[in-house]
Amino acid sequence: MGQLEIELNTQVSTLEEVNARDLAPYQAVYLGNPYCPKHAGNLLENHRELAEAITRLKGMGKKAYVATPAAPRTGELGGVEKLVETAARAGADAVEAHNLGVVRLVHRRFPGLPVHTGCFANVYTDLGAAKLKEYGVRRVTPNYEVSLEEIHLIREAGGLEVEILLHGKMPLGLTNSCFLLNFPDHPCPQACREDFWLTTRDWVLKITGTVVWSGKDVCMLEHLPYLLESGYRAFRLETLYEPPEYRREVGLIYREALEHMAEGRELLWPAWLEMLKNWSRHGFCNGYYFGQAGRMYINQYGEPVSI
Amino acid sequence: MVELLAPGGSPEMVREVMEAGADAVYVGPRGWSRRAAAFELGDEELKECASLVHSYGKKIRVAINTLPHSREIPLLLKKLERFLSWGIDAVILTDVGCIHAVHRAFPELPIHASVGCNMTNAQDYAFFRELGVRQVVADCKLPWEELSAIRRAGLGVEVLIHASTCFTYIGQCWMSSYARQVWHLDAEGKNHFLGSPNRGGLCHRLCLAPWDVSCRHGTAAWGVKLRNEAFFLLEDIPRCLELGVSTLKIQGREYTPALMGAAVRLYRQLIDSCLASPRSFDPAPWYARLEEIKRLRDEQRARRTAELLRESIA
Repeated sequence: MGQLEIELNTQVSTLEEVNARDLAPYQAVYLGNPYCPKHAGNLLENHRELAEAITRLKGMGKKAYVATPAAPRTGELGGVEKLVETAARAGADAVEAHNLGVVRLVHRRFPGLPVHTGCFANVYTDLGAAKLKEYGVRRVTPNYEVSLEEIHLIREAGGLEVEILLHGKMPLGLTNSCFLLNFPDHPCPQACREDFWLTTRDWVLKITGTVVWSGKDVCMLEHLPYLLESGYRAFRLETLYEPPEYRREVGLIYREALEHMAEGRELLWPAWLEMLKNWSRHGFCNGYYFGQAGRMYINQYGEPVSI
Repeated sequence: MVELLAPGGSPEMVREVMEAGADAVYVGPRGWSRRAAAFELGDEELKECASLVHSYGKKIRVAINTLPHSREIPLLLKKLERFLSWGIDAVILTDVGCIHAVHRAFPELPIHASVGCNMTNAQDYAFFRELGVRQVVADCKLPWEELSAIRRAGLGVEVLIHASTCFTYIGQCWMSSYARQVWHLDAEGKNHFLGSPNRGGLCHRLCLAPWDVSCRHGTAAWGVKLRNEAFFLLEDIPRCLELGVSTLKIQGREYTPALMGAAVRLYRQLIDSCLASPRSFDPAPWYARLEEIKRLRDEQRARRTAELLRESIA
């Protein structure tokens, strides 16, 4: 992304999703679904395809990060080690860990392989981030409940790169048993290809097996200039469980916005927001970045609005 | 000898559970633990409770198991210094940074890792032991082999025997604050993060709202609650003892002191009976005694859940 060296990244579950067209807007890709081993085609369960996916990304000039299971039990650690070994041999640029045990495992068995922590690693404080640095962590995604004011402190004191969720549904909860198994008309693994929504009052959540997601899409487009001014350079567009068109189109809108910002061109807020809205079924929120309830949306003028 | 740990949601509850035979009690300083402020203690109350518990020859553990703002860590250390001067016996923590800072400042103070640390494997246990943790509060979702693995890691194991399980892993959920979060600074400068159970303790229990489940084919189910069940490990207590579990914990700071007193009496007698003759342990009569406690507990919990859900739209 030009002189600013901005990384726009996203996540895919399967080899099929690793294609140049849909990933065109991104500089880096997290490979594999950390939440469910049974997800059809999950790259974390097929190491040959994982190696192929890494090679493909490298061929496209992109960085390849490899996800790891979010909450592995002791009996699964051997498999995690083999997964990381495959990733390292195939030339992955980093692995992502939501589990602190996995962070330790990678640090001890694969010293030098950079680790990024995901939102479920629960980085809430600067001291927590600084401690993780001693375990080979190079980049943290603070827990999504952490405000921008706190994220600044984590970055400054922790001395680590910080990744920011820029757009997409954010995970709100992780469980150990698949919710969708309650619906025999939608058997595993096909159920994961279906969108399931939970609705009560005016709240909407999305549910995919073991993860509850925000029903609204986090949208930080209007705040992107502030994030860039604040020095953030790694941004995630969460597209797990989204169709390829979402990954491509939302990515292209952000890429265009970043290019306009880098080149000092006119910022087309209404047009970009309108285009993003086409991909959001239940509207936007900003998550917890401004200290509010996660479902609220604060615009660039600091006003809470419904969008 | 296994320890029976009871909740101390108020000074009255602390007295009640001591009288009922608890070996130790855990309390939360206001704004710092995974419960609403009404079930936490002010510093002076905590001091009096420490004195009371020690007068029984028992132990008091302070739960500081929320995930604070980075700027609040110095305040936490200052508070802990005061609590230590009152003789608290251990602290329960969640945040990696807090654990590191507390262990560095007070190396002799036993640190227990909260259930919110969400450990699931042997590498997790080793990680937290390296940080200075001595005991782990095991998540209700952990299988028996994990409890053995915690022991093998050289850590004490604390098992919830009377609790509620969340739909999610505890510490891995921010559904409540998605609906409502209010930043509230107290006089000391502590943010209570109202609405975030991970940060301030108050959970609006969205998982217990009636949810309609829909997909592109239409509505798949109406009024579904995300699984969140009461959890009683009564018949497995002998197995816990056999495994060398250090602490059996009763959850329940938000219930009435009388109810928690009754629960502690039951488990005290059960544990003593089991220790006296482990091979002849029969859970059936204990289940019968538990029924009334469960009934009252369910009533109180349902009332509280309704309140919390109402507050979530305030």
